[in-house]
Amino acid sequence: MTTNLKDVFNNTTNVTIFTFRFWDEVFKPPFEIKEFIKQCYLLGYKALPLVAITGFIMGLVLTIQSRPTMAKFGAEAWLPGMVALSMIKEVAPIITALICAGKISSGIGAELGSMKVTEQIDAMEVSAINPFKYLVVTRILATTVMIPILVVFADCIGIIGGFTGMNIHTDVTLFRYLHKILESLNFIDIVPATIKTFFFGFFIGMIGCYKGFTASNGTESVGRAANSAVVAASLAIFIIDMIAVQLTDLYASL
Amino acid sequence: MNKESGNQWKLGMFVIIGIILFVIAIYFIGKSKNLFSSTFTLHSQFKNVRGLKVGNNVRFAGINVGTIAEIELITDTSVIVDMIMKVEVQKFIKSDAMASIGSDGLMGDKVLTIYPGTFNKRMISNNGFINSKNALEMEELLKSIKTSVDNVGIITTQLAEFTFKINNGKGALSKLITDEEFSKSLKGTLINLEISSKEFAKFTVKMNDGKGALSKLVSDEQLANKLDSTISNLQTGTKGLSENMEAAKSNLFLRGFFNTKKKNAAKRAVELKKNEKVLKEVNNSK
Repeated sequence: MTTNLKDVFNNTTNVTIFTFRFWDEVFKPPFEIKEFIKQCYLLGYKALPLVAITGFIMGLVLTIQSRPTMAKFGAEAWLPGMVALSMIKEVAPIITALICAGKISSGIGAELGSMKVTEQIDAMEVSAINPFKYLVVTRILATTVMIPILVVFADCIGIIGGFTGMNIHTDVTLFRYLHKILESLNFIDIVPATIKTFFFGFFIGMIGCYKGFTASNGTESVGRAANSAVVAASLAIFIIDMIAVQLTDLYASL
Repeated sequence: MNKESGNQWKLGMFVIIGIILFVIAIYFIGKSKNLFSSTFTLHSQFKNVRGLKVGNNVRFAGINVGTIAEIELITDTSVIVDMIMKVEVQKFIKSDAMASIGSDGLMGDKVLTIYPGTFNKRMISNNGFINSKNALEMEELLKSIKTSVDNVGIITTQLAEFTFKINNGKGALSKLITDEEFSKSLKGTLINLEISSKEFAKFTVKMNDGKGALSKLVSDEQLANKLDSTISNLQTGTKGLSENMEAAKSNLFLRGFFNTKKKNAAKRAVELKKNEKVLKEVNNSK
C-alpha cells in the first residue's frame, strides 16, 4: 500500500520533471524541423482515415438515435443543430482523442520503449544527438498540432454523416442543413472545444513519450509501456475534458 | 529522403484543408453574428427588457438584421439596449421607428423587433436613438385576464340562480320547461291552432275565388255599386214613405199603429247605415 502510494507520488514527480524538460527543450535550438514534419505525417495524416470513418459514423448514428426523441417533441427541425452542437462540442474531440490515444499514444510508447530497451537512445546520446529533443519534443509537438486538425476534420465529416442520417427519413438540402447548423452555432461552442483539443494532443504525445522513455530494461516492459500509455492517455483525456467543460461553463455563465 | 518529400505534400494538404475548414466555420459563424459585414449601431431605451440577452436577434420585417451588442442599466427604470445592425437595412429604418421586445415562439429566445416608422421621415443615423414600445406585459395580461375571470364568476353565479329558479320555481318559464301537464295542454293548443289555421286557409281561399255571397261582398265591385244604388233608391223610397207616413200619422185612427211603426223604421235605418259603413270600410281596406 505504502509502496503503491509512493509509486504514485514518484510518478507524479517524474511526469512533472518530464513536462518541464519538454518546455525547456522546445524553445532551444537546434530545432528538428524535418523530424517534426515526418512525425506530423506519421501521427496526423496516417490517422485521418480512422478518424474520418469514426467521425462519419458518429454523426450518422447520433442523428438516427436522436431522431425518435426529437420527433416526440415535434422538434425534428432542431436535429441538425443539436447533432452539430454535440459533435463539435463533445463527441468529435473526445472520439478523435480516444482513437489517437489508442493509435498514437500506444505507438509512441511501444516505439520509444523498444528504443530504450534496445539501448538505441543511449547510442544516440553517445553520438551527440539529444534524444529528448529528437524523439520526444518532435512527437509531442506533432500530436499537439495534429490532433486539433484531426478534430476539425472529424467535425466536418461528422456533420456530413449527420446530413446522411437526416436524409434517410426526410429530404433536406445540404444548404438548408448547413444553414440550420450555422444558426445554432456560436463562438462559445467552437473556441473552447478547439482549445481543449490542443491539450488532448499534448497529453496524448506526452504520456506516450513518457511511458516509452521511462521503460525499464526488458522486452516485456515495451508491451507494458504501450498498454499503460493507452490507459493513462484515455484517462487523462476524460479528466482534461471534465476540467475544460467546467471552465467553459464557468466562463459562459458569467 | 525521396520518399519523405513524396509524403510532404500530403501532410501539407492535410494541414491546409484542416485550417481552411476551421477558418470557414469561424467565418460563417461570425457572419451570422454580423462580425465581418459592415454594420451600424442603434440604441433604444426600455423600462424592462424582460430577459433580453446580449447576442439575441434583432428583427425588422421578420428578418434577422442584427444582434444585441450591449444591455446597460442607466437608472432604476431605464435600460439602454445597443444593437449592431446590417448597413443594408439602415435606409428602411426611419427616425420615428419603434423597438419592442417579443419572444420567438413559445419557448424561444427573446427577440427585439423594430417597426419601420413613417416613410417620409428621414433615415436613422449611425448611433441613432429609436423609441421603444412597451409590448404586452405578462403582468398586465394577467390583470386583464383576472378582471374577465371575475366577471365570468359573477355571470356564472347568476346563471346558477337562474337555472335553480327554472328548475324549482313557479313562473311561466319554469312551467314551460318542467310541467308535464302544461306541456300537454300547450301541445293540444298547438294542434287546435294548426287545425284552425288550416280552416282559415281554406276560408281565405274561398274568399278569394269570389263565388260565395261573402266573397262577392268583399271582392266584387259591381255588387258594391249595385248595393250603393239600391241604398240610394231606398233612401228616396223611404223619403216618400216618410211623407206618406207623416200624413198618415196625423190621421187619428192610425196614430197608435204608426208610432210603433216609426220606431221600427228608425231601427232599420240605423242598421242600414251600419251596413253601409262596414261596406265602405271593407272597400277602403281593399
